Amino acid sequence: MRHDGLANSESAPGPRAAADVAGAGRGSASISIKGVGCRFGSTHALDIVDLDIEAGSFVALVGPSGCGKTTLLRIVADLVSPTMGAVHIGDAPAAAARRERRLGLVSQRPAVLPWKRAIEDVLFTQRVTGRSTLPAQRMLRDFGLAGHEGKMPHQLSGGMLQRVNFASAIAHDPDVLLMDEPFSALDEMTREDLGIWLGETLAQRPKTVLFVTHHIDEAVLLADRVIVMSPAPGRVLADIAIPAVRPRHRDFRSDPLFVAVTARIRELLFDRPRAASGEGNTGSRGEDAAKYGMGAA
Amino acid sequence: MNDIAAFKPSAVAPRFGASVVRILRGSLVMATPVLSILALWYAAIAVSGLPEFVIPRPTQVLAALVEDRVFIATHLLETLKSAGLGFLLANAIGIGLAMLFVAAPPFQRIVMPAAITLRNIPYVALASVLVLAFGDGLPSKILIVALAGFFPVLVNTHRGLLAVDPIIIDRMRILDARPWDVFLKVRLPFSLPYILAAQEIVGSGSIIVSIAAEWLTSTQGLGYVINRAMSQYRGDQVYAVALLAALLSFAVYSLIQVLGARLDWSARRPAGAGSNAK
Repeated sequence: MRHDGLANSESAPGPRAAADVAGAGRGSASISIKGVGCRFGSTHALDIVDLDIEAGSFVALVGPSGCGKTTLLRIVADLVSPTMGAVHIGDAPAAAARRERRLGLVSQRPAVLPWKRAIEDVLFTQRVTGRSTLPAQRMLRDFGLAGHEGKMPHQLSGGMLQRVNFASAIAHDPDVLLMDEPFSALDEMTREDLGIWLGETLAQRPKTVLFVTHHIDEAVLLADRVIVMSPAPGRVLADIAIPAVRPRHRDFRSDPLFVAVTARIRELLFDRPRAASGEGNTGSRGEDAAKYGMGAA
Repeated sequence: MNDIAAFKPSAVAPRFGASVVRILRGSLVMATPVLSILALWYAAIAVSGLPEFVIPRPTQVLAALVEDRVFIATHLLETLKSAGLGFLLANAIGIGLAMLFVAAPPFQRIVMPAAITLRNIPYVALASVLVLAFGDGLPSKILIVALAGFFPVLVNTHRGLLAVDPIIIDRMRILDARPWDVFLKVRLPFSLPYILAAQEIVGSGSIIVSIAAEWLTSTQGLGYVINRAMSQYRGDQVYAVALLAALLSFAVYSLIQVLGARLDWSARRPAGAGSNAK
């Protein structure tokens, strides 16, 4: 419900503190990416990216492989330093937010320790960060892992392991959740199940989410906004709002909005020259990268 | 009731029979190498025609082992002392340097050439210098064992410390974990299989190097016993010591394997879980 107005409110960046209060529940913060670009030696990974993400919203990044979407996520995570520009979480620079343990990272492969049982792995996050307000046992139970708390990673299925990974990633109760193709190593059915599960879990524990994926369907099913990126060096090609209530269910796939938005994204990704001239379709805010960048500055 | 009574013997008897067969098969597997070695030994005596002090009969060797047990045990203890302490020192140096390399990579470029040079100097030369510096007592022997053993520990531990899945290092960074936590709770457990693999080489190697060092310079230890026995044409004693040293090395290797299996998380996967079946 609270996400319905997102498409309209976005155009006015406005006072961030107010957005923090209105946009989300406890434990989430806005992300502001300003003029961020990145080069690795001679590789131009990321062109200039400007992006404001409201507290509590779910933003998906899609784009061709190698377009720098993972680099952008890693810059927000303060794991990579941008060549230019800056990222703020709430009012603090990304580095400060990381040091304050306000960031959570869900990786493509589970980052669980192979010698720890599921529950120990979740507790490990809490011990390392010294933030143990969330009940680890109950988290695992809520995540459908009741009876599996004592299992070693190799005794769990891929889907279960990714849920343990998720529990460990948010066990220190971060404000911002950064997810890097978290479901891409899973089979199609597990992937869809976990997508639905993630949506429901986030409804109970609101976080600001930046979600990198190469699955267009997944992005549209889960996100409030889908950022379509250009091939390398990546820049924002389109910023598409999906004004539908979260969490969404499987039947959202047959919703006209879903169909229109996925078609629009496909057009942008696979048929770029034509798409560039035909801005302003349903669901799109019709801002190409240059315009968006100027508008935000 | 009737069913259970009828079921019981048929279920238990084959399993009991199977275990007897397994024990028999196991002892046969154990006995075969011993028997074949003994056969080869006697064949060598018969064919070569060498005198007894070069190839004594196995019974003479066992007799020497029993008769000179106090003498041999005294020197065995000495060898164990230098091998054990040298082994510990090798690990301290190897693991310590590996930690240093990971914490401060520039040190790798400074220390590694020296380590490789040290590794490639003939131990005989090294031993001679050490004896000149420290005398022919325990300290030189410990140092020789340590110098021979630290390199595999260093290389393996270093590789292990760097073998951590980068995704887990990302996790530790995003959690802003203290460097000490990263080392102690992530890197060290990850490198444990590598460190254990090095122990298998260095553990039994320490005993062999220790004996060699004693043979070269010392007046104590099993190496010295071999030296003395040769000068007295006591081939039986030389073989007795060789047998003892081989058994010792094998015992150390097995001990490390058993301890390793308990410590090594990567070996704890259910590969050989099916212990029943036929």
